[in-house]
Amino acid sequence: MPFAKLNGQSTPAIAAINYAFPEGLRTVGELADERLLKSSAETMESFGFGNVHVALTETPYDLAVIAAKKLLEESRIDPASVGLLIYGGTPGSMAFAPSEGAESAAAGLCTMSRFKYPSTRLQYDLDLPNASTFALDQLACTTLLAAVRIARSLCLTEGIERALCVSSEFFPANAGREAIFNCTSDAACAVLVERNGLRNRLVSATTVTKGYYWDVDSLRDEIVASYFPTARHVLHRTIADAGWEPSDVDWVIPHNVSMRSWEILSGLVRLPRARLFTQNIVRHGHTLAGDNFINYRDALDGGCIEPGQRVVLFSYGFGAHWTGIAVEA
Amino acid sequence: MTSKRKVFITGASGLVGEEVLRRMLVDDPALEAFVLVRNEIRWLLASKRLGALARRVVPLQGDTTLPGLGLESQVRQRVERETSAVVHAAADTSFSRSLDQARFVNTLGTYHVAEIASECLCLDRFMLVSTAFVAGRATGNILERDNGGDAGWVNSYEQSKYEAERNVRASGLPWTIVRPSTIVCRGPSGDIPQINAVHRALRVYHRGLAAMMPGDRAYHFDVITSSYVADAIARLTFNQRALHQTVHLCSGRRALTLGELVDTAYDVWAENPEWRKRGVERAIITDAATYALFERAVMETGDVRLRAVLSSLAHFIPHLALPKVFDTSVAEALLDASPPEPGTYWMPMLRCLLANNWGQTQEAAA
Repeated sequence: MPFAKLNGQSTPAIAAINYAFPEGLRTVGELADERLLKSSAETMESFGFGNVHVALTETPYDLAVIAAKKLLEESRIDPASVGLLIYGGTPGSMAFAPSEGAESAAAGLCTMSRFKYPSTRLQYDLDLPNASTFALDQLACTTLLAAVRIARSLCLTEGIERALCVSSEFFPANAGREAIFNCTSDAACAVLVERNGLRNRLVSATTVTKGYYWDVDSLRDEIVASYFPTARHVLHRTIADAGWEPSDVDWVIPHNVSMRSWEILSGLVRLPRARLFTQNIVRHGHTLAGDNFINYRDALDGGCIEPGQRVVLFSYGFGAHWTGIAVEA
Repeated sequence: MTSKRKVFITGASGLVGEEVLRRMLVDDPALEAFVLVRNEIRWLLASKRLGALARRVVPLQGDTTLPGLGLESQVRQRVERETSAVVHAAADTSFSRSLDQARFVNTLGTYHVAEIASECLCLDRFMLVSTAFVAGRATGNILERDNGGDAGWVNSYEQSKYEAERNVRASGLPWTIVRPSTIVCRGPSGDIPQINAVHRALRVYHRGLAAMMPGDRAYHFDVITSSYVADAIARLTFNQRALHQTVHLCSGRRALTLGELVDTAYDVWAENPEWRKRGVERAIITDAATYALFERAVMETGDVRLRAVLSSLAHFIPHLALPKVFDTSVAEALLDASPPEPGTYWMPMLRCLLANNWGQTQEAAA
């Protein structure tokens, strides 16, 4: 839906982005050797993947703290001005366990440990005294896009000045690194949304959820088939809701799924001028925690995106959710 | 009209052959027929459906792939003595055969039937039931003649039929070649006598296992009914003006566009609240290159079921991106009638497919 302006207010915007990867780095060849891929290394390489980041000692929470602290330090904002903290990603007690201990940590969900929330701890550790918190779950790779969307709405409706969105995801040590032909990294990403921003303005957002595809394992083929037409539909709607024409779009900032799937989707969506920021697919692989924002930050830092350019961020999350956000840089 | 003519029909228990035989027997109460029977059980079922008409039919055990059709000498002599028209409708219509397999039945089989026909003492007509899709990868306006094979073919069936046509034209027989389009149902009721590639493709899309197809919404895609095809063949077999004519039994310029066919299908499926609830997105009609990328990605990823789905579509679906309009001038002049409007039977056909669950309900009942 288009983001309506309320009482002449400025459009909420993305004020800052930062992210953190763990120190461990693996090539797809190494992942294949460790039997952490279902497909061959050659197949994954042909799909554009090269390296992924693997958390060995870091917990998801550690990564979330690093990403959020970097953002706060860099943006130099008053922590007291943050009125909302939205956390997404690895749930509950699992957020505090390293990859080797993730499975036993999951058992903690049945005890008092389930009330050890990373969102509230993050509020404390970051010293955000005025931030109320909540967490998002069950949105997979669209979590951070959803967090930004909600933050934007609450900034407008509740007068919140700043909202910090943090997402952190990882895979337990033996869980494998491939999700339907995509190589996945562990990572955390933090996004600051401000009520009155002039750059990176959030112009529209579209989410389509199709509950029919909730059973990822048994509906795998249907999900692969439905991915493309629904993605096209969401991208077109996001662009239309922004009041743009397909030819207005300068950049598409993808989630880092396979290059092949983006080539196909690009053929289907037909945005005549748009460029696709794909540099990070080979460098980082797919991060559940926030590909789009990591890529957006890198595209800004690299001087790819110029002020005023029209950008669409798109991601798909198992479950199944398709989300697009239109941003005016 | 009555006569003492005798027709020899191959493929008489098949989709087209059985209906042609019925029409001929109904239209000419004096007509008798030989039918070449390869599968006795299938013929028994067909003769049961023919009822009393079957009394004027002489079944002959044989096989088009065998020299002399495998007929005993005395039987063959009788056929050659009494037959005044041959309707060769037997074919292997599977699109996925190797070229050698397809040629074995469709090209060599036609050669064997033509060989018998050339020995017939009073032959008026050799009617070859071919396919409009001998046009293969050619695009544009497809004329009712030998258009050559330079464009190539999408599958071995088309090539083997093209080669059979070429042989028949050169045979010296009093030939007529009819080229039906893809038969999707019997007539306006939408009743489906036989599930084919179009129905199977629709099933894949209905199940949400594929969500794009190559082509353009504005391209025409030709389909036809079996009743029109059978009626035309029955009428043309003894039509003197049809001698040495190639005849398209197609919708021609009346064919619906791909966009119309697809939209109607999804509209019909969406009438079912359970299906609608799944939120299956309409298939995207895209350019051939993008579809090929998708196909290649699936083939490389090794997912068995999805690969099987795309493989099954691969022998047919390229036609969607090869726009062609089959010229029907000769057919309309000879038959003095237009083919039926596809809009009158496409939707009923879709409803029948749903009602019998793509033939599974019928199979279970049988």
